[in-house]
Amino acid sequence: MTERTWQKSLKWLLGFWLAGVTAAALLWAPAAAGFQGHSFRIVFFHVPQAWVAVLAFCVNLVASLRYLRGRKPLDDVRATTAARLGLLFAVLATITGSIFAKIEWGMFWNWDPRETSIVILLLIYAAYFALRQAVADEERRAALAAAYAIFAFVTMPFLIFVVPRVYASLHPNLVEAARGAVRFKMDPAMRMVLLGALAGFSGLFAWLYTLEVRVARVMAARRAKEEA
Amino acid sequence: MHRSTLLAESLAVLGKEVASELRRRVALNAIGLFAVTTLVAVAYQIGPYGLAEQDRPFLLSALLWIILFFAATAGLSRVFVKEEDAHTAKALRLAARPLAVLYGKLLFNLLLLLALEAIIVPLYCALMGFAVKSVGGLVLVMVAGGAAFAVTSTFVAAIIARASGSNALFAILALPLLLPLLVAVIAGTRAAAGSPELLAVFPALRAVVSLGGVTMVTAILLFPVVWRD
Repeated sequence: MTERTWQKSLKWLLGFWLAGVTAAALLWAPAAAGFQGHSFRIVFFHVPQAWVAVLAFCVNLVASLRYLRGRKPLDDVRATTAARLGLLFAVLATITGSIFAKIEWGMFWNWDPRETSIVILLLIYAAYFALRQAVADEERRAALAAAYAIFAFVTMPFLIFVVPRVYASLHPNLVEAARGAVRFKMDPAMRMVLLGALAGFSGLFAWLYTLEVRVARVMAARRAKEEA
Repeated sequence: MHRSTLLAESLAVLGKEVASELRRRVALNAIGLFAVTTLVAVAYQIGPYGLAEQDRPFLLSALLWIILFFAATAGLSRVFVKEEDAHTAKALRLAARPLAVLYGKLLFNLLLLLALEAIIVPLYCALMGFAVKSVGGLVLVMVAGGAAFAVTSTFVAAIIARASGSNALFAILALPLLLPLLVAVIAGTRAAAGSPELLAVFPALRAVVSLGGVTMVTAILLFPVVWRD
């Protein structure tokens, strides 16, 4: 199998997988107790979106570190692409979360600690792009943006772990759950759909990310050819 | 040849900052006047009787830090921006190693913040009738919070000085990084206001110190990249 057919079949597989996960989330997953109607079904999309936003932030960190070590323009492209996709998924997670909050808790926005965390993540992403736009020189832009991204990354654990502990959260506390202090009663079918959605959204992120990086690579090659 | 130590170089940078600030007083005036004006506006609108008794510790702690936070963002970026404005950054790069520049400017910003807190906090307590049960706890939160605040704002100032140097960009970049710190210091100040026990401020203090420590280490590692590029 050539690389191209391989990529094509992966793309089709991803499409079928996401279609399957969507159908399972909306039709097959059993109704969860304690929720208003079918509102819980949005969780199958909301949680993976938030996960991808954080995953993109991690990819941005790795690419930024690599850029500062090797100074390869492609690593800067990788960092920017990850940040752009991260921003998109963070916005989607905020919208789906707000819809769920309106149905479950009566308000679109409650300043719940996790809502606050996602807003700050959004602000960091927005600041990252504001910084990039303020610098004209390409190399300096890449280095400053990488430094800012790494610095911002180290403050994130405080948002995710410290802030929800200082203030009470409406969200389930995953740190306590991992310790076994709280037990989630999740139906095995629900868990399967959620894990499938997590894998599907991660795959979607990987596909969009490689596609954008490839486009940027082609554009850079064309620019180099034109300049030569 | 005489080789200067990092400490001596850092103190020399600090000395230069203090001397040039005392000559022009741009940052001092910006921060001081902003803080006093905001404090007067808040005191005039709310005053000692404008809040319900049960809301006072939390709201007064939050208001105090909002005043300090916005006053600080008005002047802390000057420390690096003025070097680019006056075209003295190149000379400074030649004269001192990057870490000495970071430490010197960080210490200067810390001094500026502590001076701001020393003036504004007693004034705020008097004007707003903010009774603090543990003064020692409040001092601890103010000093640790000021130090952590100075680290992040000095590092962001270094970044924006190399970008456009605008104060708006400083606020955009610094705000999301300072919010977790702001949450912790407000919790610490509330604890100091509500309990005479020094131990009451420790949970918040732990978050402030660890956040300050982590950002300090990261700033030390990344500063040469920002300063040299």
